Amino acid sequence: MEDLWFELLFFLEVLFSGLLTGSLYSLVALGFVLIFKASGVFNFAQGAMMLFAALSLVGFQEMLGVHWTVAFLLAFAVMIVLAWCVEKFVLGKLVNQEPIILFMATIGITFFLDGFGQTVWGSDIKVLDIGLPTGSFDMGGIFIDKLELVAGATAAGLVFVLAVFFNKTKIGRALRAVADDHQAAMSVGISLRYIWIVVWSVAGLVGLVAGIMWGSKLGVQFSLSLIALKALPVLMLGGFTSIPGAIIGGLIIGSGEKLAEIYIGPFVGGAIENWFAYMLALVFLLFRPQGLFGEKIIERV
Amino acid sequence: MEEQNRQIGDVLLAVEDISLSFGAVRAISDVSFNIKKGEIRAIIGPNGAGKTSMLNCINGFYHPQQGTISYKGITRNQMKPYEAAAQGIGRTFQNVALFKGMSTLDNIMTGRNLKMKSSLLSSVIWWGAAQKEELEHRRFVEDIIDFLEIEAIRKTPVGRLPYGLQKRVELGRALAAEPELLLLDEPMAGMNLEEKEDMCRFILDVNDEFGTTICLIEHDMGVVMDISDRVMVLDYGGKIADGTPEEVRADQNVIDAYLGGGH
Repeated sequence: MEDLWFELLFFLEVLFSGLLTGSLYSLVALGFVLIFKASGVFNFAQGAMMLFAALSLVGFQEMLGVHWTVAFLLAFAVMIVLAWCVEKFVLGKLVNQEPIILFMATIGITFFLDGFGQTVWGSDIKVLDIGLPTGSFDMGGIFIDKLELVAGATAAGLVFVLAVFFNKTKIGRALRAVADDHQAAMSVGISLRYIWIVVWSVAGLVGLVAGIMWGSKLGVQFSLSLIALKALPVLMLGGFTSIPGAIIGGLIIGSGEKLAEIYIGPFVGGAIENWFAYMLALVFLLFRPQGLFGEKIIERV
Repeated sequence: MEEQNRQIGDVLLAVEDISLSFGAVRAISDVSFNIKKGEIRAIIGPNGAGKTSMLNCINGFYHPQQGTISYKGITRNQMKPYEAAAQGIGRTFQNVALFKGMSTLDNIMTGRNLKMKSSLLSSVIWWGAAQKEELEHRRFVEDIIDFLEIEAIRKTPVGRLPYGLQKRVELGRALAAEPELLLLDEPMAGMNLEEKEDMCRFILDVNDEFGTTICLIEHDMGVVMDISDRVMVLDYGGKIADGTPEEVRADQNVIDAYLGGGH
């Protein structure tokens, strides 16, 4: 009896930790979904944007010695400028091109951002400290990582704000209109340029928040942009066009890989956390290629 | 036909000698015509005559290589579609271009986009004011919904609606922007007789009640002749006739090119 109770607590602890990590995957995936919805572009640069945003935040903090909130606003401003530049110099020039060409362009943006970020802010691993709590606490026998809890709550808050923004405001409606039909959207007086800048800025903000969470966990370093790869299985699970899909997908991947590591891992020699997500995505590609909440069959990417 | 007290005024839009080509293909060559305030102006012609290209030039999707287009006396160059919309040019499309995932109401609300003042920032800060504005526009949109008799499908995602109704929703979205000049690209294509009659009635009512100037493209000759004040005929990108329905009907070129063989 005692054993079973302990087993259950342990299971819950693993599940919880997985869900919270999953919410971080969701945050990254969310950035992809936003841009894909609005411009039909699979933005390969989302990971690089996250790294660049986090680098900027730490950089401003170090360089100017300001409070992290000020650095946060400055970093957000940088992401808005970046969004403007992307529209002005890249996407704006490629209107009506094939999705694959836009995708290639975002790979270009990735390399630019990686190089530019390291040139400006240096390539050392930086410590990101904005006073988020660390360590863990005991909740009825389950140990919960404080940072993960904060990250989960932040992700939930951000999603709520975005949901209200996209469903209740004029700009949100315009954005959904652009996602549906570029031509028709322009004919009712929606400026594609403006919408694209807004969407890339919001994706930049999401990247910034994701970058802060991941940066606090792992330090701000180049490998941060590789976390974006973990967002791919999340997107395949949740669908490329669905915000709820990105969230649920992230939670499934996060908890799935943790549970698999603990309960299936020992039978296959362990270390399955690294590939479990991709295998899950593969299974989904076989049986439900549009994802759980996707609107249509994925034809891009 | 319905010449009660409709006022046809000055020239609203003047197209002068425009030519448009895509590579070696000439879509429009040296066409001039104008649209007067308050009239219903039709552009007809066989398939591939350049009718849709003409509408696309007028609302800024295409930019003619030669010639000028002036709207309200102001000649413009390289206008973007959303700028055309901001100046009061609304339109519908040949293949219905609605936002399929959104409801009828939301689709028509997008038409109010330009009329809504609150900016991105202010709608974040003064949430209440933005919501109040939203409600006012909602009221306007409900009037359009009543006008077009589509109350029953208010909340239905438009992707699920039959074609005839989609065309009506698209007209509603264009009307929501309160356009001065409304461009309709084959508003009755693919409709049955009853739907066509409804659409005709709406077009005449819009013109009559709101004083909206209408420029429409249509294949159905009967409909065009019935509701238009003036008709321009295009063939192979060139203008072959322009005048009242009676004049056009009697024009030998038109009979040869369009009404005669081949049709």
